[in-house]
Amino acid sequence: MKILVVDDFSTMRRIIKNLLRDLGFNNTSEADDGLTALPMLKSGNFDLLVTDWNMPGMQGIDLLKEVRADENLKSLPVLMVTAEQKKEQIVEAAQAGVNGYIVKPFTALILKEKLEKIFERIG
Amino acid sequence: MSEQKELITDDNIARVKDLLVCLEKGNEMDAIEIIDELTSIRETELYQDMGKLTRELHDAISNFGIDDSISLMAEKSIPDARERLNYVISKTDEAANKTLEAVEESIPVCSELSQQASELHNSWEQFTRRELSADQFRALSKDITGFFDKTKGLIGVKDNLTEVLLAQEYQDLTGQIIKKVINLVEEVENKLVGLIKLTGAPQVSSKEDDSASSLDGPPVPSIQHKDTVSGQDEVDDLLSSLGF
Repeated sequence: MKILVVDDFSTMRRIIKNLLRDLGFNNTSEADDGLTALPMLKSGNFDLLVTDWNMPGMQGIDLLKEVRADENLKSLPVLMVTAEQKKEQIVEAAQAGVNGYIVKPFTALILKEKLEKIFERIG
Repeated sequence: MSEQKELITDDNIARVKDLLVCLEKGNEMDAIEIIDELTSIRETELYQDMGKLTRELHDAISNFGIDDSISLMAEKSIPDARERLNYVISKTDEAANKTLEAVEESIPVCSELSQQASELHNSWEQFTRRELSADQFRALSKDITGFFDKTKGLIGVKDNLTEVLLAQEYQDLTGQIIKKVINLVEEVENKLVGLIKLTGAPQVSSKEDDSASSLDGPPVPSIQHKDTVSGQDEVDDLLSSLGF
């Protein structure tokens, strides 16, 4: 299971990577915004994308839209982990095809639950 | 403006009649005197108005406090505040990284020890049930020695925990800095309110920025945001109502 973690704050990337490792996912890579993430996704055979929303360069929602518009990436599961709590934004992410939405601050248990739910659904 | 003095008075009519007589007679001196009298009526009004305006301007300026404080704010306090806040970012960043480093170093030590401890526990129980052969027992005692060696790693874990403890000092430092910046923001707010009052602009009630594209960032408990969820449960409810 190869996972890409995208967040502009290195500490948050580190926290998520550690939590993922704890859940048994050791193969993780990092990117600090959508612009760096997209070429990595296109060439990297990732199985899951975990992304923040508010980032410089390309925001998470735009990265999600790019992923869904790409023939090879469109079925890649995307989990959004963000501080954005506006209903409109959550709805927008859902409409753009997000597979899970976690608001910060979050716990290890919530991350585990959402990941399980995503994998359960894609079988 | 001061009240306009009445122009059409018997006095003034008499003055103008006199002026005409003087001019017709070629009496220049008297004519000039009457013209001066007439213009002085205007001038006193003008001077009075000017004086009043000057006083108002002076009061307004001194009330607003365009003393040193506002220029000091623009030149020094605000750039200072920017520096202070940048320092807060670097301090919190430093603390977070220090903590993460210590934790990342400690987790493998802890998981290895707990793994080995549970293996030893199993072997020990087998031993107490007399299920171990002599060879197995020798292996067990070797494992126990190895385990004791590994526990030396706990000293490192304890050091790391102390690191984590010390890293929390950022909270005190950044708290003090942020308090200073809050005071400055309050001062700027007061000056701005003064400026708005001075210009006589009506105080409009604040309009909320409802644009969907703007990102709010992390929610702050005492600041109300329209149409936001609070917490993961509400996110889950919203998503499930959308058929998720």
